[in-house]
Formats: sequence, structure tokens, C-alpha cells
Amino acid sequence: MTPTPEAPVAAPAADLDPAIVADATVEVDAVSVWFGPKVALSELTCSFGAGVSGLLGPNGAGKTTLMRAITGLVGVNEGGIRVHGRDPRRDRAVHGRMALVPEDEAVPAGLTARQFVRYVADLHGVTDRGAPDGALRTVELLDVADRRVDTFSKGMRQRTKIAASLVTDPDILVLDEPLNGADPVQRAHLIALFKHLGGSGKTVIVSSHVLNEVERMSERVVVLVHGRLAAAGGHRAIRDAMDDTPRHVLIRSDRGRQLASALIGLDSVTGVTFDPKRDGLVVQTLQARALAVALPRLAKDASVRLLEVRPLDDSLESLFRELVR
Amino acid sequence: MDAATGHERGAVYDRGYRPYEGPRGMRGAATFALYKASMRRALGLRRAWRQKVAPFVLLGVVTVPAIVNVGIGYVTRDRLADRFQIITYRQYVGVSAALLLFVALVAPDVMCPDRRQRVLPLMFARPLIGVDYVIAKVGAIGTILFAFSFLPQLVLFIGNMLVSNSALDYFTGHLDVLWKVPSAVIVLAMYYAVIGCAIASLTDRRIVAGAGVIGLFLLTSITSGIIVGDWELKGGSAAALINVLRLPLYLRDLIFLGHIDPDSPLNGVGGGGALATATYLAVLVAGIGVLWRRYRWVER
Amino acid sequence: MDAGPLLRVDGLTKRYPGVTAVDDLTLDLPRGRIGLVGANGAGKSTMFRLLLGLAHPTEGRIEVCGIDVASDPIRVRSRLGYMPEHDCLPLDQTAADVVSTFGELSGLPARAARQRASDILDLVGLDEARFRPISGFSTGMRQRTKLAQALVGDPELVLLDEPTAGLDPTGREEMLELVARLGSFGISVLMATHLLDDVQQVCDHVVMIDAGKLVVSGGTESLLERTGVVTIDVGGNGEALVGGLARRGITATVLDGLVEATIDGDDAMDALRDIVAELELPLFRLSTRLTSLDEVFVRRSRVPT
Repeated sequence: MTPTPEAPVAAPAADLDPAIVADATVEVDAVSVWFGPKVALSELTCSFGAGVSGLLGPNGAGKTTLMRAITGLVGVNEGGIRVHGRDPRRDRAVHGRMALVPEDEAVPAGLTARQFVRYVADLHGVTDRGAPDGALRTVELLDVADRRVDTFSKGMRQRTKIAASLVTDPDILVLDEPLNGADPVQRAHLIALFKHLGGSGKTVIVSSHVLNEVERMSERVVVLVHGRLAAAGGHRAIRDAMDDTPRHVLIRSDRGRQLASALIGLDSVTGVTFDPKRDGLVVQTLQARALAVALPRLAKDASVRLLEVRPLDDSLESLFRELVR
Repeated sequence: MDAATGHERGAVYDRGYRPYEGPRGMRGAATFALYKASMRRALGLRRAWRQKVAPFVLLGVVTVPAIVNVGIGYVTRDRLADRFQIITYRQYVGVSAALLLFVALVAPDVMCPDRRQRVLPLMFARPLIGVDYVIAKVGAIGTILFAFSFLPQLVLFIGNMLVSNSALDYFTGHLDVLWKVPSAVIVLAMYYAVIGCAIASLTDRRIVAGAGVIGLFLLTSITSGIIVGDWELKGGSAAALINVLRLPLYLRDLIFLGHIDPDSPLNGVGGGGALATATYLAVLVAGIGVLWRRYRWVER
Repeated sequence: MDAGPLLRVDGLTKRYPGVTAVDDLTLDLPRGRIGLVGANGAGKSTMFRLLLGLAHPTEGRIEVCGIDVASDPIRVRSRLGYMPEHDCLPLDQTAADVVSTFGELSGLPARAARQRASDILDLVGLDEARFRPISGFSTGMRQRTKLAQALVGDPELVLLDEPTAGLDPTGREEMLELVARLGSFGISVLMATHLLDDVQQVCDHVVMIDAGKLVVSGGTESLLERTGVVTIDVGGNGEALVGGLARRGITATVLDGLVEATIDGDDAMDALRDIVAELELPLFRLSTRLTSLDEVFVRRSRVPT
């Protein structure tokens, strides 16, 4: 297997469980965490490596607990977490190589952006004097670096925290809703930033509810539901693994009814619906490939012009819906 | 063939949303609604039982003197010579510690949470402006203070009437009470309502506001006490007016007696009555000023 | 009540010391569901304040539902509903109580307010939970209660500030569905959001603002352009397809495992279909590349300094 030169993404080896990654930097091994009667994580096993991984799940699924456990802020009741082979809760050295950007908005009052980032840099013993400004430039806050953080909008505060996490040049970046409050232009830039960081070999774990952005940023996702691992891997691959659920394909053409009656004749088709809102047919099938092969021939024979063919459950959104149902 | 029995026809009436076609009030209706809601909150209605304890215990406490008085009257109904009043109407329009604690408890509870929980933007996105908000809130606290001061007076009056030889004679002989008491109570209720709400409006934390109210009263009364000194010996002093707590009582005396009470720290001060009234109004204006500034939600 | 434009803004400018939040904005918006997207300190909260009559414009005028905001802000507010982004609900009261009280504060008589509160809470999907204090509510339930208080007064227009913020994907879908339905009740929506996806899904009309200036205002459909480039997924057999297309004179390339072909007309579309059929390749996906609102926005807003 030739690795692509520009993106040293840790790829799952063919015989490995998709939840596990070869050359993992973060290993979560049968971890359970509970707070009194509430079980936050239940026998969770997964790992993360270089590249961007999405961490998904409904509210309360345990994502925040996992992120805090990985960065050593919370202890595990059972099982173990290893970051670069060490216990993040006890080993201070490995702490310096990780950064967590939590979702809450707490920022120290009275500091400017530059002061805050410099403070974090000093706290971690960063010797490079240009690092704070460099980090602020990366998140495009350099021109407002001397304004107080408590005057910032939500999106700007989030970016300040990201800059503070970058200034220590961590190997492992764990981010909780980092795009929160950012406007569309900033979002696009941040997505590009995370992809770049992942591409340069860092382990980036991003938790977000905006699934289409997670799709753009990350190569693989880990989905938690009720503290348990619900799914892991590339989202298309996950979808393929759910082969007991029917797929839906939207087909727009110039003569829908003609095409519909032809499609009904196929064994692979289990249902055809007219969707006026999308101006086409929604075809249900359990054999996506067989349908895909038969479709062009059918259309050609019936002289129906195909305008659009689109799998409707290809997205992370539809996958999520299925998993959480 | 037959007349329609109704099952051939069908219709769907309600698909989930019914627009509102009825009457719609503006500022007046909104202000009144806020007034009612604030009173409910202060009295603990529609909330847990715990919230109702304070107001009703208070009501009980302030009514005790009236009940005791009536009780004495009843017990001595045949021995008029032994009868004594433990409290006059004038004295009853007094500052009871219970009432003070009530203001310090309830005014913050009615004012601060709206600010702390950031409910104010929801309020002012409605047909309601700052003035309306203040009127509703101060009005609610004032109404409750009025009721809690007036009800015991009513008990006292009616009780006295009943235990006297002739209820009718008592009534006709005490007609002045019927206007003096409400007037004095209004003077008091409005004053403490404005002060309580004004201080509460300065902060979003109830405890701080409550401490502020008590602190203001305590501080001014101690200061005034120190400056005035032993007024029973030396005679009264205008510095008695510093005591924010006692201020409305001078007006009460003006209402009941027509002049400053000789037994008060203001005794002997020239133009005492006018000074007291002026200071009272100044404090009210200051309080209203604070409220006006704190609830100006429209920027120029 | 249904006639007339929803919102008319004419040369609207709002200056604060040090920053111009709104800069010479002119808009004419129809009833329906409108998305408001902004970048670079676009002053979304300033816009809402101006619409509610809680701030006075430095220049220009605003007309909401036919009423001039400067001359009669009270009447404007009686037609509007507002759902802020931040937490704004009294926590120690029940949802039913809060929504009902806010109904009264909107000017409804007490009984009607209670009735409508009940109806609206049904609509937003709060069932028995409505009788519990709000302090125990999840984010999703709080958002729904916030929406309920905005709707209880039967407004003509609701202002929604990031209604899906903090919601998980399921909650977001449900909220967007609710917002989409509002149109069918005769309620117009002005939804401010950073998520262009939400706008594309729910709004008929989009207004984009950058640093206080109008970037674009138009129907969502009309803003999305078709590019003439068709993307085809034949499952890894891209090279074969490209070859086949080339033989028919159609230019195509393989990109990220997909084929992108320049199709200039109906005949070319049919030719594409026939070639795929002849080569017996599986047709997984065929789409004319649409710009997404994201691209429209990024392309048209100015580069942030």
C-alpha cells in the first residue's frame, strides 16, 4: 500500500476493526466512566491517529466526557486511556503535547487576545517569542489582538481559544464545537485549518453537531450513543455496513412515470415514490449496485433523459439519523 | 332519497394552528399583565409552597398586634376601666421589622431574576417600554405592602368596633381614621416599594440587593442616630432626616396629628414638617430616577 | 394581513462610536421565510434591535409589515415575535406558566393567553414536560420553549436568532422542520444564522450582509446557479468513462474518484447516459454541479482584513 505523500493519514489496516487505527496516538481501551449513578461512558474501545476524526453523538452521549478523559481532566473508572503510550491523567509530559478547546465560553476577563495567548504560551514554557502572534495570525485575529477578549463575539472568543491551543504546537488537538458562532467565511477558513493540521500529521479530534461540516473536515468518524460506541470509520463505509436498511436514490428525469414503470420491473427495486418537492422519483432498494447498473440501460431503452441521480442517504446526516433512531 | 344524515359530508377543521382573532391590548394590557405576574411571584402563587411561606408568615406577624388588641378589648369588655390599647392606629402604621424584611426579600425577588436570567430582552420585545415595566413592578410591591399594612388595620378597626359598647358610635366617632389610615399606608407603601425596587434594580443578584436594602436602612438610621444624639434630652435635629428608614413616619404623623410628633427626633426643628415632606419627595424622586435609568432599553 | 411586503428598509445606517454596524442598507423583502446571514461583525443583533424599535437608526427608515418603526414601535412589536440566541427563560417557573404569561404580556387577555399557550406548546412538541420547571429542561426543550413564547402572540413575523444553536443533529432537524412549517401558518420568519445549510433547507429568500453592507438579497433558488459541469460517480471506473466520452467528443476528467464532464446540452446528456449504459458501468451519482450558498457567500463577500 503506497502512502500518498502529502497526507500521512493513519489508515485502518484491512483486518482491523474500523474503530481502531494503526499507529494510533490515542488509545481508548474498554473505558467506562460514571458520575454517581450516571454512566457517561460504557466499555468504550476506540483509537485515534493522525488526521482529522469526527466525534459525533446526540447531546449527553458522552462526547464531552471522552474528550476530557483523553486530555486527562477526568479519570476513568474502568479500562484505560493511553496517549503516546502514557496515561494522560498521571503523566504530565504527555499533557504538553495535547490541547483541549472546550465548548464553554469562559474566558479570563480583562485580558486582550494577545495577552491571553501569551499567558498560555508562558504557562507551557513555550520559548518561541513569535508563537502567540503566529497562532493569532492562523486564526485571523492578529488585527484585533489588542482588543479585550470579553468584548469579542462568540465566534471570535472561540478562535482565541483555538489560537491558545495552537501556540503550544500540540500533537493532539481535541476541539468541542470549534466552529460555534463563526460566520460562514470563518467556518470555511477553520475547516481548511483543521484539514491542514490533520494533513501535517497531527491528531485532530473534532466534536460537532453540524454534520455536513464534519463530513468535509474529517476522514473518519466515531459515533457515540448513550455512552457506547455506535459506529466508527469512514461514513460511507459505515453506511455500507448497514446493509439491512434500504437505500434511497433520487432520480430526476424528463419522463418520470415512464422511468418509474420500468424501474418497478427490477428485482432490486423495493419501492418507487413520486416526490413533487424534489421533482423526481425516490427509488428504494436493498441492492444499490444492481440498481446503479440497471438504471442507465433502462433509461436508454425507454428514451428517458436522466437529469440527476443522487443517493439520499449518502450523507452523514442520514447515517446519523439511522444510528440514533 | 332521505334527508342528509350527515355522514356523506366531512371536513377537517383543525390542522394544528389557529390564528388569534380576538382583542389585543397594547401597553396598558401588557403593563397590567406584568403587574399581576409580579404580584403572583411576590406572593409565591403558582410556585412551590416554600415561596409562599415568607409572605403569609409576615402577614400573620403584622396582624398579631391587632388580634392582641381586640383580644384585650374582648377580655375587658365588662371592665372598661381595665382596658388599654396596646397600639393606636397611628402607631400601627409603623415600621415593623417584619415588613422591612419582607421588602428586602421580595423586591429583589421580583426585580433581579429578570435581569440575571436575561429575560428583559423578551419583555421589551413586546408592547412594553421601560416606564411601563417600572410602574408594573413598583406597583406590585406597593400593592402588597399596602395590603399587608392595611389588612391588620382593618382587623383592628373592626375588632375595636365590635368590642366597644356601641359599634355605630365607635364608627361615627372614628371617621377620621377611615381616611388617615389609608393615606398614611399609601405614603409608606409607595416609599418602601420605590426604594426596594430601586436598589434591587442596581444588581442582578438577589442577595446583594437584599443586603443593599437592609444596609441602606441600617446605615442611615445608625448615622442619623449618632448625629442626632440623645434627642430626648437635647431636642430634635434636622439630621434625623438622614434616617431613610423613618422618613415616611414623619409624614404619617403629619397626617394623623397635623404636626410633628413631640416624641420624635425631629421635635422642635423649625419647619420640620415641610423639611420632612421635601426630603421624602427627594428620596422618591431619586429612587424613580435610578429605576428610570436602569430600565431604559431603547437606545438613541 | 397577508398583503404587502414584509420588510422595507431604505438607506438604513446605524453608527456607533468606532464601528458602523449597518451601512446604507436597502431591502425589500417579501413574506415567507428569510435567512439573514452575516460576516465580519455584520451586526445581526443590531438589525434585530432596529427592527424591534429598540434602537434608532442613524439614517434611513424601516417599515415592518407596513408600519414605520420610528413612528410606532409599539405597534410593530405587537406584530413581532422574538427568539433570542441566549438563555432568556425564567428558570423557576413551568413552561406552561411562562408561555402563558408572555402571551398576556403580548397583549392577549388572560384566558386567551392560556389557551394559545397550550396550543403553541402542543405545536412545538412539549408534552407533559410543560408542567415542569424550566430549570430541568434540556437545550432542545429550552429552544422549543423560547420559540413558543415568540409564537404565543400570533405574530406576523418572528425573529429567530440562531434557532439551532446547541442542538444535536436530531434536534436541529426538528427545529428546522418547525420553522419550515411556520410559513404554512401565515407566519413569516426572519432567521439569523451562520449555518448556510439551514438557510438552504428552510428559507425561500436569503439576505447576506458583510461588515454592515448588503452583499446579496435574493430567492434561495435563484442564487444557486447551475454550472454546466456534470459530476458522475461510476464507482471507480472513471477512466473507462472518460475514454468513452472522449470518443464522442465530450471533455471529461477524473477528480477524487469522480468524473467531471462539460455537458453543453440535452444531446450531450443523453450521450452520457448511453455511454454509461453501453459500457455497463454502475451509475451511482449524476449531478449538475450547483454552487452552494457557501460558495456564493464566500465569493461575494469581501476578503476579511
